Amino acid sequence: MDSDYTTSTDAILEVGEFYELLTAQLESAYGRRHPRWVRGEVSKVYEKTHLYVDLVDAGSSASDSKRPVLNAHCWASAWNPLKRKLAQDGVTLQPGMIVNFFGYVDVYAPQGRIGFTVTEVDVAGLLGDVARRRLELIARLRGEDLFDANRRTILSPVPLRVGLVASPQTEGYSDFTGQLLDSGYGFQILLVKTAVQGEAAPPQIVAAIEALDGADVDVICLVRGGGSRGDLSCFDDERVARAIAASSTPVFTGIGHTGDESVADLVAHTRAITPTKLGEEIVSVVRYWYQSNVRYPAQRVLSATEAVFDEATEYVAERRRTMIFAVRDRLRAEQRHLLATRERLVIQSRHLLATATQMLASDRQLLSAYDPKRRLAQGWSIVTNAEGVVVRSVGDVRVDESVRVAVSDGSFAATVNEKNGASS
Amino acid sequence: MSTIGDWNDAAKELNDIVASFDEGEVSVDDLFVKLERATAIIESLEARLEATKAKVEELAPRISRVASDE
Repeated sequence: MDSDYTTSTDAILEVGEFYELLTAQLESAYGRRHPRWVRGEVSKVYEKTHLYVDLVDAGSSASDSKRPVLNAHCWASAWNPLKRKLAQDGVTLQPGMIVNFFGYVDVYAPQGRIGFTVTEVDVAGLLGDVARRRLELIARLRGEDLFDANRRTILSPVPLRVGLVASPQTEGYSDFTGQLLDSGYGFQILLVKTAVQGEAAPPQIVAAIEALDGADVDVICLVRGGGSRGDLSCFDDERVARAIAASSTPVFTGIGHTGDESVADLVAHTRAITPTKLGEEIVSVVRYWYQSNVRYPAQRVLSATEAVFDEATEYVAERRRTMIFAVRDRLRAEQRHLLATRERLVIQSRHLLATATQMLASDRQLLSAYDPKRRLAQGWSIVTNAEGVVVRSVGDVRVDESVRVAVSDGSFAATVNEKNGASS
Repeated sequence: MSTIGDWNDAAKELNDIVASFDEGEVSVDDLFVKLERATAIIESLEARLEATKAKVEELAPRISRVASDE
Protein backbone atom coordinates (compact mmCIF):
# COMPACT_ATOMS: atom_id res chain seq x y z
CA MET A 1 0.00 0.00 0.00
CA ASP A 2 1.59 3.16 -1.21
CA SER A 3 -0.66 5.77 0.29
CA ASP A 4 -0.29 6.81 3.81
CA TYR A 5 -3.65 5.97 5.36
CA THR A 6 -3.07 8.52 8.01
CA THR A 7 -3.10 11.28 5.40
CA SER A 8 -6.14 9.96 3.49
CA THR A 9 -8.60 12.66 2.52
CA ASP A 10 -11.54 10.20 2.46
CA ALA A 11 -14.25 10.96 4.87
CA ILE A 12 -14.43 8.96 8.01
CA LEU A 13 -17.28 6.40 7.72
CA GLU A 14 -19.65 5.16 10.30
CA VAL A 15 -19.83 1.35 10.65
CA GLY A 16 -23.11 1.21 8.81
CA GLU A 17 -21.76 3.44 6.10
CA PHE A 18 -18.72 1.20 5.86
CA TYR A 19 -20.88 -1.89 5.41
CA GLU A 20 -23.00 -0.08 2.83
CA LEU A 21 -19.88 0.79 0.90
CA LEU A 22 -18.45 -2.70 1.30
CA THR A 23 -21.73 -4.29 0.24
CA ALA A 24 -21.97 -2.04 -2.77
CA GLN A 25 -18.42 -2.86 -3.76
CA LEU A 26 -18.82 -6.61 -3.28
CA GLU A 27 -22.21 -6.74 -4.94
CA SER A 28 -20.90 -4.83 -7.91
CA ALA A 29 -18.35 -7.60 -8.42
CA TYR A 30 -19.98 -10.75 -6.86
CA GLY A 31 -23.53 -9.65 -6.22
CA ARG A 32 -26.91 -10.91 -7.38
CA ARG A 33 -26.16 -9.78 -10.90
CA HIS A 34 -22.82 -11.49 -10.92
CA PRO A 35 -23.37 -14.96 -9.50
CA ARG A 36 -20.50 -17.47 -9.51
CA TRP A 37 -19.85 -21.13 -8.97
CA VAL A 38 -18.01 -21.95 -5.76
CA ARG A 39 -16.67 -25.43 -4.93
CA GLY A 40 -16.11 -26.57 -1.39
CA GLU A 41 -16.40 -29.36 1.12
CA VAL A 42 -19.36 -29.31 3.44
CA SER A 43 -18.04 -28.97 6.97
CA LYS A 44 -21.35 -28.19 8.66
CA VAL A 45 -24.90 -28.41 7.46
CA TYR A 46 -27.99 -27.21 9.25
CA GLU A 47 -31.55 -26.87 8.09
CA LYS A 48 -34.28 -24.88 9.72
CA THR A 49 -36.67 -23.66 7.10
CA HIS A 50 -33.63 -22.37 5.26
CA LEU A 51 -30.46 -24.31 4.60
CA TYR A 52 -27.18 -23.27 6.23
CA VAL A 53 -23.93 -24.80 5.05
CA ASP A 54 -20.34 -24.07 6.00
CA LEU A 55 -18.02 -24.70 3.07
CA VAL A 56 -14.26 -25.12 3.37
CA ASP A 57 -11.57 -25.93 0.86
CA ALA A 58 -11.76 -29.62 -0.04
CA GLY A 59 -9.20 -31.62 1.86
CA SER A 60 -8.32 -28.85 4.26
CA SER A 61 -7.78 -29.77 7.88
CA ALA A 62 -10.32 -28.88 10.53
CA SER A 63 -7.45 -28.23 12.88
CA ASP A 64 -6.22 -25.44 10.62
CA SER A 65 -7.42 -22.36 12.46
CA LYS A 66 -6.81 -20.21 9.41
CA ARG A 67 -8.83 -22.39 7.09
CA PRO A 68 -11.18 -20.18 5.08
CA VAL A 69 -14.86 -20.84 5.68
CA LEU A 70 -17.72 -19.71 3.49
CA ASN A 71 -21.04 -19.39 5.30
CA ALA A 72 -23.49 -20.35 2.59
CA HIS A 73 -27.20 -20.31 2.94
CA CYS A 74 -30.09 -21.11 0.73
CA TRP A 75 -33.36 -19.43 1.46
CA ALA A 76 -36.42 -21.62 1.72
CA SER A 77 -37.88 -20.27 -1.53
CA ALA A 78 -34.89 -21.62 -3.42
CA TRP A 79 -34.02 -24.48 -1.07
CA ASN A 80 -37.36 -26.29 -1.10
CA PRO A 81 -37.39 -27.05 -4.85
CA LEU A 82 -33.69 -27.83 -4.70
CA LYS A 83 -34.23 -30.13 -1.76
CA ARG A 84 -36.94 -32.02 -3.60
CA LYS A 85 -34.72 -32.42 -6.61
CA LEU A 86 -31.85 -33.69 -4.48
CA ALA A 87 -34.15 -36.01 -2.61
CA GLN A 88 -35.40 -37.56 -5.83
CA ASP A 89 -31.83 -38.40 -6.69
CA GLY A 90 -31.12 -39.74 -3.25
CA VAL A 91 -28.80 -36.98 -2.18
CA THR A 92 -28.73 -35.62 1.31
CA LEU A 93 -26.18 -32.93 2.02
CA GLN A 94 -23.77 -34.26 4.57
CA PRO A 95 -20.44 -33.14 5.97
CA GLY A 96 -17.59 -34.31 3.79
CA MET A 97 -19.46 -33.91 0.54
CA ILE A 98 -17.85 -31.89 -2.21
CA VAL A 99 -20.44 -29.51 -3.64
CA ASN A 100 -20.63 -26.85 -6.30
CA PHE A 101 -22.86 -23.96 -5.24
CA PHE A 102 -24.02 -21.26 -7.61
CA GLY A 103 -24.83 -17.97 -5.98
CA TYR A 104 -23.70 -14.58 -4.96
CA VAL A 105 -22.04 -12.75 -2.13
CA ASP A 106 -24.13 -11.66 0.78
CA VAL A 107 -23.01 -9.26 3.46
CA TYR A 108 -24.89 -9.41 6.76
CA ALA A 109 -23.91 -6.35 8.65
CA PRO A 110 -25.66 -7.09 11.98
CA GLN A 111 -23.25 -9.99 12.54
CA GLY A 112 -20.45 -8.59 10.50
CA ARG A 113 -20.52 -11.63 8.25
CA ILE A 114 -19.92 -12.11 4.61
CA GLY A 115 -21.94 -15.00 3.36
CA PHE A 116 -22.98 -16.70 0.17
CA THR A 117 -26.54 -16.99 -1.02
CA VAL A 118 -27.02 -20.25 -2.92
CA THR A 119 -29.41 -20.25 -5.85
CA GLU A 120 -28.39 -23.50 -7.52
CA VAL A 121 -26.65 -26.73 -6.62
CA ASP A 122 -24.72 -28.86 -9.10
CA VAL A 123 -26.77 -32.07 -8.66
CA ALA A 124 -24.79 -34.03 -11.25
CA GLY A 125 -21.61 -33.27 -9.39
CA LEU A 126 -23.22 -34.21 -6.13
CA LEU A 127 -24.43 -37.51 -7.56
CA GLY A 128 -20.91 -38.25 -8.65
CA ASP A 129 -19.79 -37.48 -5.18
CA VAL A 130 -22.47 -39.71 -3.69
CA ALA A 131 -21.40 -42.52 -5.97
CA ARG A 132 -17.79 -41.97 -5.03
CA ARG A 133 -18.62 -42.01 -1.33
CA ARG A 134 -20.64 -45.15 -1.83
CA LEU A 135 -17.75 -46.89 -3.55
CA GLU A 136 -15.45 -45.73 -0.81
CA LEU A 137 -17.82 -47.16 1.79
CA ILE A 138 -17.94 -50.50 -0.02
CA ALA A 139 -14.15 -50.52 -0.25
CA ARG A 140 -13.90 -49.81 3.46
CA LEU A 141 -16.30 -52.59 4.28
CA ARG A 142 -14.36 -54.99 2.07
CA GLY A 143 -11.12 -53.87 3.65
CA GLU A 144 -12.50 -54.60 7.09
CA ASP A 145 -13.85 -57.97 5.93
CA LEU A 146 -17.37 -56.79 6.65
CA PHE A 147 -18.77 -56.83 3.12
CA ASP A 148 -19.55 -60.58 3.17
CA ALA A 149 -19.73 -60.95 6.93
CA ASN A 150 -23.49 -61.39 7.12
CA ARG A 151 -23.50 -63.77 4.17
CA ARG A 152 -21.30 -66.06 6.24
CA THR A 153 -23.98 -66.43 8.90
CA ILE A 154 -25.98 -69.65 8.71
CA LEU A 155 -29.64 -69.34 7.87
CA SER A 156 -31.97 -71.61 9.81
CA PRO A 157 -33.39 -74.29 7.50
CA VAL A 158 -36.84 -73.27 8.64
CA PRO A 159 -36.85 -69.52 9.34
CA LEU A 160 -40.28 -69.17 10.87
CA ARG A 161 -39.31 -66.58 13.48
CA VAL A 162 -38.93 -63.43 11.45
CA GLY A 163 -37.58 -60.20 12.86
CA LEU A 164 -38.96 -57.36 10.80
CA VAL A 165 -37.52 -53.87 10.48
CA ALA A 166 -40.15 -51.79 8.74
CA SER A 167 -42.74 -49.11 8.99
CA PRO A 168 -46.12 -50.77 9.45
CA GLN A 169 -47.99 -48.07 7.58
CA THR A 170 -46.23 -48.78 4.31
CA GLU A 171 -47.15 -50.90 1.31
CA GLY A 172 -43.81 -52.65 1.60
CA TYR A 173 -44.77 -53.86 5.07
CA SER A 174 -48.17 -55.09 3.86
CA ASP A 175 -46.69 -56.76 0.79
CA PHE A 176 -44.07 -58.58 2.82
CA THR A 177 -46.24 -59.69 5.74
CA GLY A 178 -49.01 -60.63 3.31
CA GLN A 179 -46.73 -63.20 1.69
CA LEU A 180 -45.87 -64.72 5.06
CA LEU A 181 -49.37 -64.73 6.49
CA ASP A 182 -50.96 -66.06 3.29
CA SER A 183 -48.46 -68.90 3.06
CA GLY A 184 -50.25 -71.02 5.62
CA TYR A 185 -47.03 -71.63 7.54
CA GLY A 186 -46.75 -70.61 11.17
CA PHE A 187 -44.58 -67.55 10.81
CA GLN A 188 -43.98 -65.51 13.93
CA ILE A 189 -43.23 -61.91 13.06
CA LEU A 190 -41.42 -59.74 15.56
CA LEU A 191 -41.76 -56.19 14.29
CA VAL A 192 -39.53 -53.31 15.27
CA LYS A 193 -41.04 -50.15 13.89
CA THR A 194 -38.63 -47.71 12.34
CA ALA A 195 -38.63 -44.79 10.01
CA VAL A 196 -37.59 -46.02 6.58
CA GLN A 197 -36.59 -42.71 5.08
CA GLY A 198 -35.07 -39.49 6.24
CA GLU A 199 -32.30 -38.64 8.61
CA ALA A 200 -33.98 -40.36 11.56
CA ALA A 201 -34.10 -43.67 9.76
CA PRO A 202 -30.46 -44.91 9.94
CA PRO A 203 -30.08 -44.82 13.73
CA GLN A 204 -33.52 -46.37 14.18
CA ILE A 205 -32.73 -49.12 11.68
CA VAL A 206 -29.40 -49.78 13.38
CA ALA A 207 -31.08 -50.02 16.79
CA ALA A 208 -33.74 -52.33 15.37
CA ILE A 209 -31.18 -54.67 13.81
CA GLU A 210 -29.20 -54.79 17.04
CA ALA A 211 -32.34 -55.45 19.09
CA LEU A 212 -33.54 -58.23 16.80
CA ASP A 213 -30.07 -59.77 16.67
CA GLY A 214 -30.37 -60.23 20.41
CA ALA A 215 -33.87 -61.61 20.13
CA ASP A 216 -34.65 -65.21 19.30
CA VAL A 217 -35.32 -64.79 15.59
CA ASP A 218 -34.15 -66.87 12.64
CA VAL A 219 -33.83 -64.02 10.19
CA ILE A 220 -33.98 -60.24 10.20
CA CYS A 221 -35.83 -58.70 7.29
CA LEU A 222 -35.24 -55.11 6.28
CA VAL A 223 -38.27 -54.02 4.32
CA ARG A 224 -39.07 -50.85 2.46
CA GLY A 225 -41.27 -50.31 -0.57
CA GLY A 226 -40.32 -48.35 -3.63
CA GLY A 227 -39.39 -44.70 -3.57
CA SER A 228 -37.00 -42.14 -4.92
CA ARG A 229 -33.29 -42.52 -4.49
CA GLY A 230 -33.59 -39.95 -1.76
CA ASP A 231 -36.25 -41.97 0.01
CA LEU A 232 -34.02 -45.01 -0.07
CA SER A 233 -30.77 -43.24 0.77
CA CYS A 234 -30.92 -44.35 4.40
CA PHE A 235 -30.13 -47.85 3.19
CA ASP A 236 -26.84 -46.56 1.81
CA ASP A 237 -25.93 -45.28 5.24
CA GLU A 238 -22.67 -46.61 6.60
CA ARG A 239 -24.15 -47.16 10.05
CA VAL A 240 -26.85 -49.39 8.60
CA ALA A 241 -24.32 -51.31 6.52
CA ARG A 242 -22.10 -51.88 9.55
CA ALA A 243 -25.06 -53.00 11.67
CA ILE A 244 -25.98 -55.58 9.05
CA ALA A 245 -22.39 -56.78 8.82
CA ALA A 246 -22.14 -57.06 12.60
CA SER A 247 -25.38 -58.99 12.95
CA SER A 248 -24.96 -62.65 13.86
CA THR A 249 -28.43 -63.27 12.47
CA PRO A 250 -28.87 -63.42 8.70
CA VAL A 251 -30.25 -60.14 7.40
CA PHE A 252 -32.48 -60.23 4.32
CA THR A 253 -33.40 -57.07 2.45
CA GLY A 254 -36.42 -56.27 0.37
CA ILE A 255 -35.93 -52.64 -0.47
CA GLY A 256 -37.47 -50.64 -3.26
CA HIS A 257 -38.17 -51.89 -6.73
CA THR A 258 -36.11 -53.60 -9.37
CA GLY A 259 -32.97 -51.68 -10.17
CA ASP A 260 -32.49 -50.15 -6.76
CA GLU A 261 -29.54 -51.70 -5.04
CA SER A 262 -28.50 -50.14 -1.80
CA VAL A 263 -25.36 -50.77 0.21
CA ALA A 264 -27.61 -52.57 2.67
CA ASP A 265 -28.60 -54.91 -0.18
CA LEU A 266 -24.95 -55.51 -1.00
CA VAL A 267 -23.91 -56.47 2.51
CA ALA A 268 -27.07 -58.39 3.36
CA HIS A 269 -27.16 -62.18 3.55
CA THR A 270 -29.82 -62.27 0.85
CA ARG A 271 -31.33 -59.52 -1.21
CA ALA A 272 -34.76 -59.54 -2.80
CA ILE A 273 -35.77 -56.89 -5.30
CA THR A 274 -39.02 -56.02 -3.55
CA PRO A 275 -40.72 -56.67 -0.21
CA THR A 276 -43.09 -59.06 -1.99
CA LYS A 277 -40.19 -60.99 -3.46
CA LEU A 278 -38.53 -61.09 -0.06
CA GLY A 279 -41.69 -62.59 1.45
CA GLU A 280 -41.75 -65.14 -1.35
CA GLU A 281 -38.09 -65.96 -0.71
CA ILE A 282 -38.65 -66.59 3.01
CA VAL A 283 -41.77 -68.64 2.28
CA SER A 284 -39.90 -70.66 -0.34
CA VAL A 285 -37.16 -71.53 2.18
CA VAL A 286 -39.78 -72.74 4.65
CA ARG A 287 -41.70 -74.51 1.91
CA TYR A 288 -38.54 -76.31 0.79
CA TRP A 289 -37.93 -77.45 4.36
CA TYR A 290 -41.56 -78.47 4.78
CA GLN A 291 -41.54 -80.44 1.56
CA SER A 292 -38.22 -82.10 2.37
CA ASN A 293 -38.96 -82.86 6.00
CA VAL A 294 -42.71 -83.23 6.20
CA ARG A 295 -44.45 -83.61 2.86
CA TYR A 296 -42.07 -86.00 1.11
CA PRO A 297 -41.66 -88.18 4.23
CA ALA A 298 -45.44 -88.29 4.53
CA GLN A 299 -45.68 -89.40 0.92
CA ARG A 300 -42.99 -91.99 1.52
CA VAL A 301 -44.81 -93.23 4.65
CA LEU A 302 -48.02 -93.53 2.67
CA SER A 303 -46.45 -95.40 -0.22
CA ALA A 304 -44.36 -97.58 2.11
CA THR A 305 -47.46 -98.36 4.19
CA GLU A 306 -49.33 -99.31 1.05
CA ALA A 307 -46.43 -101.46 -0.12
CA VAL A 308 -46.05 -103.22 3.23
CA PHE A 309 -49.78 -103.74 3.41
CA ASP A 310 -49.99 -105.10 -0.13
CA GLU A 311 -47.02 -107.36 0.51
CA ALA A 312 -48.49 -108.67 3.76
CA THR A 313 -51.90 -109.20 2.17
CA GLU A 314 -50.36 -111.00 -0.78
CA TYR A 315 -48.20 -113.05 1.56
CA VAL A 316 -51.16 -114.28 3.60
CA ALA A 317 -53.19 -114.99 0.47
CA GLU A 318 -50.31 -116.88 -1.08
CA ARG A 319 -49.72 -118.91 2.08
CA ARG A 320 -53.42 -119.70 2.21
CA ARG A 321 -53.38 -120.91 -1.41
CA THR A 322 -50.17 -122.83 -0.80
CA MET A 323 -51.61 -124.52 2.28
CA ILE A 324 -54.78 -125.51 0.42
CA PHE A 325 -52.78 -126.93 -2.47
CA ALA A 326 -50.26 -128.57 -0.16
CA VAL A 327 -52.95 -130.32 1.87
CA ARG A 328 -54.88 -131.26 -1.26
CA ASP A 329 -51.75 -132.61 -2.88
CA ARG A 330 -50.85 -134.47 0.27
CA LEU A 331 -54.31 -136.03 0.50
CA ARG A 332 -54.30 -136.88 -3.17
CA ALA A 333 -50.92 -138.52 -2.76
CA GLU A 334 -52.23 -140.55 0.13
CA GLN A 335 -55.31 -141.46 -1.87
CA ARG A 336 -53.16 -142.50 -4.79
CA HIS A 337 -51.00 -144.53 -2.47
CA LEU A 338 -54.00 -146.23 -0.91
CA LEU A 339 -55.51 -146.92 -4.31
CA ALA A 340 -52.28 -148.36 -5.57
CA THR A 341 -51.97 -150.50 -2.46
CA ARG A 342 -55.51 -151.65 -2.81
CA GLU A 343 -54.96 -152.53 -6.44
CA ARG A 344 -51.81 -154.34 -5.53
CA LEU A 345 -53.64 -156.26 -2.83
CA VAL A 346 -56.44 -157.25 -5.22
CA ILE A 347 -54.00 -158.44 -7.80
CA GLN A 348 -52.00 -160.29 -5.22
CA SER A 349 -55.17 -161.77 -3.71
CA ARG A 350 -56.33 -162.93 -7.09
CA HIS A 351 -52.98 -164.40 -7.75
CA LEU A 352 -52.98 -166.17 -4.40
CA LEU A 353 -56.50 -167.39 -5.00
CA ALA A 354 -55.58 -168.71 -8.40
CA THR A 355 -52.51 -170.40 -6.98
CA ALA A 356 -54.53 -171.87 -4.15
CA THR A 357 -57.20 -173.05 -6.53
CA GLN A 358 -54.58 -174.56 -8.68
CA MET A 359 -52.99 -176.23 -5.68
CA LEU A 360 -56.34 -177.39 -4.48
CA ALA A 361 -57.13 -178.92 -7.85
CA SER A 362 -53.78 -180.61 -7.82
CA ASP A 363 -54.35 -181.90 -4.32
CA ARG A 364 -57.78 -183.00 -5.24
CA GLN A 365 -56.36 -184.82 -8.19
CA LEU A 366 -53.79 -186.37 -5.96
CA LEU A 367 -56.34 -187.27 -3.37
CA SER A 368 -58.64 -188.80 -5.90
CA ALA A 369 -55.97 -191.36 -6.56
CA TYR A 370 -56.50 -192.49 -3.00
CA ASP A 371 -60.28 -192.36 -3.14
CA PRO A 372 -61.63 -195.62 -1.38
CA LYS A 373 -64.39 -195.73 -3.92
CA ARG A 374 -61.83 -196.19 -6.62
CA ARG A 375 -60.26 -198.96 -4.55
CA LEU A 376 -63.65 -200.58 -3.93
CA ALA A 377 -64.37 -200.34 -7.64
CA GLN A 378 -61.17 -202.15 -8.26
CA GLY A 379 -62.44 -204.96 -6.06
CA TRP A 380 -61.12 -203.90 -2.74
CA SER A 381 -63.37 -203.86 0.30
CA ILE A 382 -63.32 -202.14 3.66
CA VAL A 383 -64.13 -204.04 6.83
CA THR A 384 -65.35 -202.23 9.88
CA ASN A 385 -66.23 -203.60 13.30
CA ALA A 386 -69.39 -203.01 15.23
CA GLU A 387 -68.12 -199.58 16.26
CA GLY A 388 -67.48 -198.60 12.70
CA VAL A 389 -63.71 -198.75 13.11
CA VAL A 390 -61.82 -199.94 10.06
CA VAL A 391 -60.29 -203.30 10.64
CA ARG A 392 -56.72 -203.02 9.62
CA SER A 393 -55.32 -206.07 11.42
CA VAL A 394 -56.51 -209.58 12.37
CA GLY A 395 -55.89 -208.42 15.87
CA ASP A 396 -58.61 -205.81 15.50
CA VAL A 397 -61.32 -208.56 15.46
CA ARG A 398 -62.31 -211.49 17.41
CA VAL A 399 -63.59 -214.80 16.18
CA ASP A 400 -67.34 -214.74 15.91
CA GLU A 401 -67.38 -210.99 15.93
CA SER A 402 -69.79 -209.46 13.51
CA VAL A 403 -68.26 -207.12 11.03
CA ARG A 404 -69.48 -205.18 8.03
CA VAL A 405 -67.84 -205.45 4.67
CA ALA A 406 -68.14 -202.51 2.32
CA VAL A 407 -67.76 -203.12 -1.43
CA SER A 408 -68.11 -200.85 -4.46
CA ASP A 409 -71.85 -201.04 -4.70
CA GLY A 410 -72.85 -201.60 -1.05
CA SER A 411 -72.01 -203.59 2.06
CA PHE A 412 -72.93 -206.71 3.81
CA ALA A 413 -72.59 -208.23 7.27
CA ALA A 414 -70.17 -211.02 8.00
CA THR A 415 -68.91 -213.00 10.96
CA VAL A 416 -65.29 -213.81 11.69
CA ASN A 417 -64.91 -217.55 11.59
CA GLU A 418 -61.24 -217.83 12.08
CA LYS A 419 -58.18 -215.67 12.11
CA ASN A 420 -54.91 -216.30 10.37
CA GLY A 421 -51.84 -214.23 10.55
CA ALA A 422 -49.05 -213.16 12.84
CA SER A 423 -51.21 -211.42 15.34
CA SER A 424 -53.99 -213.88 15.42
CA MET B 1 -52.79 -125.18 20.82
CA SER B 2 -49.98 -122.83 21.60
CA THR B 3 -50.36 -119.08 21.17
CA ILE B 4 -49.54 -117.51 17.87
CA GLY B 5 -46.52 -115.21 18.04
CA ASP B 6 -46.00 -111.80 16.49
CA TRP B 7 -46.21 -111.31 12.73
CA ASN B 8 -42.66 -112.51 12.01
CA ASP B 9 -42.84 -115.47 14.35
CA ALA B 10 -46.24 -116.46 12.97
CA ALA B 11 -45.00 -116.08 9.39
CA LYS B 12 -41.97 -118.22 10.19
CA GLU B 13 -44.12 -120.95 11.74
CA LEU B 14 -46.46 -120.85 8.75
CA ASN B 15 -43.51 -121.03 6.35
CA ASP B 16 -42.15 -124.02 8.24
CA ILE B 17 -45.50 -125.80 7.97
CA VAL B 18 -45.65 -125.11 4.23
CA ALA B 19 -42.04 -126.26 3.87
CA SER B 20 -42.84 -129.51 5.68
CA PHE B 21 -45.62 -130.11 3.16
CA ASP B 22 -43.29 -129.27 0.29
CA GLU B 23 -40.74 -131.73 1.59
CA GLY B 24 -43.34 -134.42 2.11
CA GLU B 25 -42.68 -134.67 5.81
CA VAL B 26 -46.29 -134.57 6.88
CA SER B 27 -47.90 -137.84 7.78
CA VAL B 28 -51.62 -138.25 7.39
CA ASP B 29 -51.98 -138.28 11.15
CA ASP B 30 -50.11 -134.94 11.34
CA LEU B 31 -51.84 -133.44 8.35
CA PHE B 32 -54.96 -132.34 10.15
CA VAL B 33 -53.01 -130.96 13.10
CA LYS B 34 -50.73 -128.97 10.81
CA LEU B 35 -53.60 -127.81 8.64
CA GLU B 36 -55.51 -126.70 11.69
CA ARG B 37 -52.47 -124.83 12.99
CA ALA B 38 -51.78 -123.25 9.60
CA THR B 39 -55.41 -122.18 9.34
CA ALA B 40 -55.29 -120.62 12.78
CA ILE B 41 -52.11 -118.73 11.88
CA ILE B 42 -53.51 -117.53 8.56
CA GLU B 43 -56.74 -116.37 10.21
CA SER B 44 -54.73 -114.61 12.88
CA LEU B 45 -52.57 -112.88 10.27
CA GLU B 46 -55.66 -111.88 8.29
CA ALA B 47 -57.28 -110.51 11.42
CA ARG B 48 -54.18 -108.49 12.16
CA LEU B 49 -54.15 -107.25 8.59
CA GLU B 50 -57.77 -106.20 8.87
CA ALA B 51 -57.12 -104.44 12.15
CA THR B 52 -54.07 -102.73 10.68
CA LYS B 53 -56.02 -101.84 7.55
CA ALA B 54 -58.69 -100.18 9.67
CA LYS B 55 -56.06 -98.15 11.49
CA VAL B 56 -54.31 -97.26 8.24
CA GLU B 57 -57.57 -96.14 6.68
CA GLU B 58 -58.17 -93.94 9.67
CA LEU B 59 -54.70 -92.39 9.55
CA ALA B 60 -54.08 -92.34 5.80
CA PRO B 61 -56.37 -89.38 5.05
CA ARG B 62 -54.58 -87.36 7.72
CA ILE B 63 -51.17 -88.18 6.27
CA SER B 64 -52.57 -87.60 2.76
CA ARG B 65 -53.54 -84.10 3.73
CA VAL B 66 -49.93 -83.45 4.75
CA ALA B 67 -48.52 -85.27 1.73
CA SER B 68 -50.63 -83.35 -0.76
CA ASP B 69 -50.54 -80.02 1.02
CA GLU B 70 -49.19 -77.17 -1.11
